[in-house]
Amino acid sequence: MLDILLPILIFSALALAAIGAVRRIRLWRQGRPSPVPVLRGLAAVPRRYLVDLHHVVARDKVMSNTHVATAGGFVAAMGLAIVVHGLGLAEGVLGWLLLAASATMFAGSLFVAQRRRNPPARLSKGPWMRLPKSLMAFSLGIFVVTLPAVGVLPADAGGWLVALVLAAVVAWGLAELVFGMTWGGPMKHAFAGALHLAFHRRPERFSDKRGGEGRSTGLKALDLEDDQAPLGVETPADFTWNQLLGFDACVQCGRCEAVCPAFAAGQPLNPKKLIQDMVVGMAGGSDAHYAGSPYPSPERGDKPVGEHHGTPHGPIVAREGTALVDAETLWSCTTCRACVEECPMMIEHVDAIVDMRRHLTLEEGATPGKGAEVIDNLIATDNPGGFDPGGRLNWAADLDLPLMADVERAEVLLWLGDGVFDMRNQRTLRALIKVLRAADVDFAVLGNEERDSGDVARRLGDEATFQSLARRNIATLSRYRFESIVTCDPHSFHVLKNEYGALYPQGQDADYPVWHHSTFINQLIESGRLPLAPGQAQRVTYHDPCYLGRYNGEYEAPRAVLRALGVELVEMQRSGYRSRCCGGGGGAPITDVPGKQRIPDMRMGDVRETQAEQVVVGCPQCTAMLEGVVPPAGNEATAVKDIAEMVAAALDNTPPATPASHDAAASQATEEVLS
Amino acid sequence: MSQLPRRDPRQEWIARNRLHPRHEEVLAALGQGATSEWPGPNGLVRKNPHRVGFIGPNGIKRIDRSGTQQGAGGGKASAPVAEHKPLTEIAEPAFLVAVVPDMAGGRLSGHDKDLLGLARRLADADPAAQGAVLAVVFGSHKETNLGEAGVDRLLHLDSPEIAGYAPEARLGALITVEQAWTPRHWLLPDSKLGGGELGRRLAARLGERPATGIWQVEADAESATGWQCTARGAAGSLDIRRPLPRIALALAECAEPVSETRHAAAELVLPQPLPSTLSRIQDLGQVSVDPASVALSEAEFILAAGNGVRDWDAYHRAASVLGATEGASRVAVDEGYMPRDRQVGATGTWVTARVYIAVGISGAIQHLQGIQPCEKVIAINMDPSCDMIKRADLAVIGDSTQILEALVTLVSQAREEKRDAA
Amino acid sequence: MQPESAMTPALEVTVLVSIGRHPLTGRVRRADQDARGVELARSLADAEVRLLHAGECNESSEAALRGYLGMGFSELALIEQPEGADVLPALSEALDATSPHLVITGERAERGEGSGLLPYLLAERLGWPLVSGLAAVESVEDGMATLLQALPRGQRRRLKIRLPAIVTVDDAAPTPRQSAYGPARRGTLETSAGEVCNDDEWATWQVQPARPRPKRLKIVKAASARDRFKAAAAKAEGTGGQVLTDVTPTQGAEAILTLLRDEEVLR
Ligand SMILES: Cc1cc2nc3c(=O)[nH]c(=O)nc-3n(C[C@H](O)[C@H](O)[C@H](O)COP(=O)(O)OP(=O)(O)OC[C@H]3O[C@@H](n4cnc5c(N)ncnc54)[C@H](O)[C@@H]3O)c2cc1C
Ligand code: SF4
Ligand code: SF4
Repeated sequence: MLDILLPILIFSALALAAIGAVRRIRLWRQGRPSPVPVLRGLAAVPRRYLVDLHHVVARDKVMSNTHVATAGGFVAAMGLAIVVHGLGLAEGVLGWLLLAASATMFAGSLFVAQRRRNPPARLSKGPWMRLPKSLMAFSLGIFVVTLPAVGVLPADAGGWLVALVLAAVVAWGLAELVFGMTWGGPMKHAFAGALHLAFHRRPERFSDKRGGEGRSTGLKALDLEDDQAPLGVETPADFTWNQLLGFDACVQCGRCEAVCPAFAAGQPLNPKKLIQDMVVGMAGGSDAHYAGSPYPSPERGDKPVGEHHGTPHGPIVAREGTALVDAETLWSCTTCRACVEECPMMIEHVDAIVDMRRHLTLEEGATPGKGAEVIDNLIATDNPGGFDPGGRLNWAADLDLPLMADVERAEVLLWLGDGVFDMRNQRTLRALIKVLRAADVDFAVLGNEERDSGDVARRLGDEATFQSLARRNIATLSRYRFESIVTCDPHSFHVLKNEYGALYPQGQDADYPVWHHSTFINQLIESGRLPLAPGQAQRVTYHDPCYLGRYNGEYEAPRAVLRALGVELVEMQRSGYRSRCCGGGGGAPITDVPGKQRIPDMRMGDVRETQAEQVVVGCPQCTAMLEGVVPPAGNEATAVKDIAEMVAAALDNTPPATPASHDAAASQATEEVLS
Repeated sequence: MSQLPRRDPRQEWIARNRLHPRHEEVLAALGQGATSEWPGPNGLVRKNPHRVGFIGPNGIKRIDRSGTQQGAGGGKASAPVAEHKPLTEIAEPAFLVAVVPDMAGGRLSGHDKDLLGLARRLADADPAAQGAVLAVVFGSHKETNLGEAGVDRLLHLDSPEIAGYAPEARLGALITVEQAWTPRHWLLPDSKLGGGELGRRLAARLGERPATGIWQVEADAESATGWQCTARGAAGSLDIRRPLPRIALALAECAEPVSETRHAAAELVLPQPLPSTLSRIQDLGQVSVDPASVALSEAEFILAAGNGVRDWDAYHRAASVLGATEGASRVAVDEGYMPRDRQVGATGTWVTARVYIAVGISGAIQHLQGIQPCEKVIAINMDPSCDMIKRADLAVIGDSTQILEALVTLVSQAREEKRDAA
Repeated sequence: MQPESAMTPALEVTVLVSIGRHPLTGRVRRADQDARGVELARSLADAEVRLLHAGECNESSEAALRGYLGMGFSELALIEQPEGADVLPALSEALDATSPHLVITGERAERGEGSGLLPYLLAERLGWPLVSGLAAVESVEDGMATLLQALPRGQRRRLKIRLPAIVTVDDAAPTPRQSAYGPARRGTLETSAGEVCNDDEWATWQVQPARPRPKRLKIVKAASARDRFKAAAAKAEGTGGQVLTDVTPTQGAEAILTLLRDEEVLR
């Protein structure tokens, strides 16, 4: 009887799955077009899955092995089951292989069950709680029905009742694992995930056969040519179809939630929920069925589910009242990419968030907090603070910095960034200049010709202002000859290195490397150009800036520099690619969405845990954020130092140049006179 | 930063006694003398090189070796001596210069006095044809020194229809003045409400193109009125030089106020009654706005609280007694002591208060950014080395609760006394 | 914009907008007070808001005018005028023709003479009442508007005015909403020709960038040169703040009180 039932079951499951697949694909295709190489993409899936995706999954060894066993077992078992039971070709080794596959899968599902016994908060509950049972039903069912096929049991063992029960168990397994894949159960991730790997919007993210660390972190430029086109993403259908596909691939593992600084600070953002909300919007409905951690709410503890709802062509953020997502959720993100870095499904949260912000800023003029003011300043003065653009070099009046306009060519173009207007950052810049001079580097600055890089405008969704700033900066840069650009601001670094390329006029290219100052200083040390006196017996920790680390993969150079300085480096628990954001990126300090605590306070807590005397950073934004932390009562404030300041302090030959700063000299004189 | 030395009565006495042989030395030691040199104990001239010179406008120490300059610390400015000023009477003026002072709070403001100074210049320019200054004053006032401010003739209008905000009735009055005496010049303070508005109405009604935002007036024989003026235009970004028109709206400090002479301020009466106008604007009176909750960006006087405030009730009491608007640092907001709309600084409000008192605020750069335009900053803080002290014009080192309490006591006492006296 | 109600005829509001100028860089922008006026208009219930500008039509003025469109308008009426023209006749003609209930303007322009005279001249010409320094419109009923006028120190005065009327807005009026790029570039400038009247007088004046005004010196009516010098030296010393350490709370409070009295902020 089973040999009649099983093929029916298997083929009807496959047929249903096929129907489901068509419907699912239709949902995705509501999105905007985005051309992809179909065959090449499909062909790349195994490698992308086995190498790149696994690279992320393997960070959790147990889970990784569990997944290999369960998923591998399932794929093999399903394939073989079609052959063995569907087509009735049980002969020989095939049946035994099927037994082995289903047994492996069963073993895996035991681990899954174990995991679900006391699931960590980041995992979603709901349908996901039945998944281990479904996995077991499938693997056990297939295992048992295969036993007669290989002749271990007689074909009619147990009679029709047992056969019926077995058929029901297998049917359950097939329902969850086969057509559940395309009809929207937990197993949807397998179907959508595979296609997402094939048609990912950033194919550059994946490594290729030559190895190479795939990295693609620059935001995609928005086409501003067509002046009637609506800008940014207003409705779920405004995403590109492969973005929608990507959202659908989410396994609700909550790894993103676990690393999200905004979520930890109690700000109303949970990247996992956000992705799920996009799935809800794509299909239409309310978020009532969401079974993971909701968005935190400083007033209410949590935002209850069920209050938000959306449709594929309805707004994501309501102008008044609620729709799918509240605007404050989108503005809480620091664009730190911790979620993207952790996501095993390679989902691009930051792209999605910025796309939606673009709509809010460009179409609705709804940048919150000081956002509108900062953007107006950028438009009117080319810097976010609204300072006189003619005064970019006022702080350096005594330093006699060579200007590109005068020298026209130099080895290094030193990009100073908007830190020139900030007294704290001026100390860093002075230190960096001292280092460059000590190493005899031939450098020059743009001075008043420099403008804000556009980073903050772009993250606030103002693509128009970003492109305007970028184009003008590019025009300035292309007037001069230099071998590389060096900057101590990782945000300018990232934008110059990864985002300006797309905006170069046709036929021109950004034909120079861009270095963060830590990388450049490390090169100087390694090539012996910088005479350093090692042996500062200090205990320091190093904070990886998001835009240097996760965005650009530079974890090593700053540490190498610190080693060369001879300091004792203690790592924070979250460092390197898992570094916790300082809270300063993505315009978050400007939009300033309230939470239960502040992100930099948490980061300084991490610092204090190491009992380091100093925290070394490589970003003006991190410096500002971490220095803005008021230490808890009874604690001394930990000093925050830029890596350039560390190096400058260690220079053994105190160069006769660089006299005390103008300001310092003046205030000293004042003190003398007044005291 | 200088610190107040411990008081030493004997030293202070010597410092006051200019004839004491150790006078200069003690002054130098106290750091308040204008002295950089003094005779040492054995007759040698001692010099303190640090005391020589002063800090120039761009923060650089300057030393003037011409010998005119001695020390850096300025002595107390000598108190102005009350002089008996001669009374000037102009019986037969060749023309009138009409001034409409704002009289905010019932008294001549500094701006009004400057304008009267300008009016005097216009009136007195030609000794052969002496003009008289006519002040048109609306509403009841408490000013007793109109004559000393340079007013020859006074028209005081105080009828019910011009009380409160009554621009149309006041304009009617000015038109009557125009018809009765046709002043050669009309001068009004270019202030926000008051002169700035009334002057524009007058100009529009008389069809004369006025000059606004005047800050300088010079004699110029070629111009029709005999004067040139320089006026600010384009939101203060341009200087426009043009002949001084008949109606002039001038900024504060457009001229020196009258100080040497005294004038008659003889009362005039309008030859005809005020026209009755049907007012289309009705004044429903001032809306009472609690100073503590005035929008931060508009506040003139702010008492801001930070992490160093211990007793919040005492702080709120102080704000209400002082009549100050409440502000806060981000920490005070984060801790939930103050509402978000009270936050001052980079992510809060940028304030333009004339006086800003920072209580227990350390002066992080993000906070200081928000108080950049404030004129006078007072810091109350335990820590003499914090950045707020560097920004402050006056800093009191001590516990915030005690100092606020003392301040409340002093202000309440002063109010009591005033009430008793009245 | 606002849902039209069949019962009450919409309140017709015209906001006069001009080309602004950033105080530091001089770049064109929407003028701050005019933008506040637009914001005020948008906050009125049942209002039909129209934007009107008289002036040159070129690339830079268009960029600035689009700043107003970005506040959520699909069109702006532009009466073309040559540079330096007196726009009063053109504007009053246009207002006469459309006869709105309420005209909102800023207090003074950020470019040109910026005398702030225009609303007064318009009011005179149209014979409408005018209220200056507005912070808010509270209500509009039966041809009367109840307004809040901004007084110093954040205080307010309530006024009632008969419509049609002209009001000018103060810096205390609501902060203008952000100008959004998309609507700004999609909106249209409805250009028309208007009566042209050249401002001949302006052409004869000397106009130059503002010079810093000399700080008024404390006039010292001092008899001796020494005293006069002392006063000058006190000026030069300038910025150093006074720090009181080791004082009793009362002494500290006294010093503070003295400063508060000097600044006349205590009432
Ligand atoms: C991106 C960013 C934006 C920010 N924006 C703002 C902003 O808009 N506004 C803002 O205010 N901050 C802002 N901050 C925070 C800022 O860096 C400081 O952390 C904050 O201003 C400190 O507040 P505070 O001075 O009240 O607290 P603290 O720094 O803790 O200072 C408390 C002060 O009180 C004194 N004190 C303690 N006890 C007493 C006592 N009994 N009597 C008298 N004095 C006492 C102490 O000596 C100390 O000086 C921002 C920070 C960042 C990173
Ligand atoms: S978005 Fe990625 S990391 Fe977050 S829950 Fe989904 S699959 Fe996991
Ligand atoms: S980028 Fe950072 S802040 Fe934004 S959602 Fe991801 S983890 Fe959270």
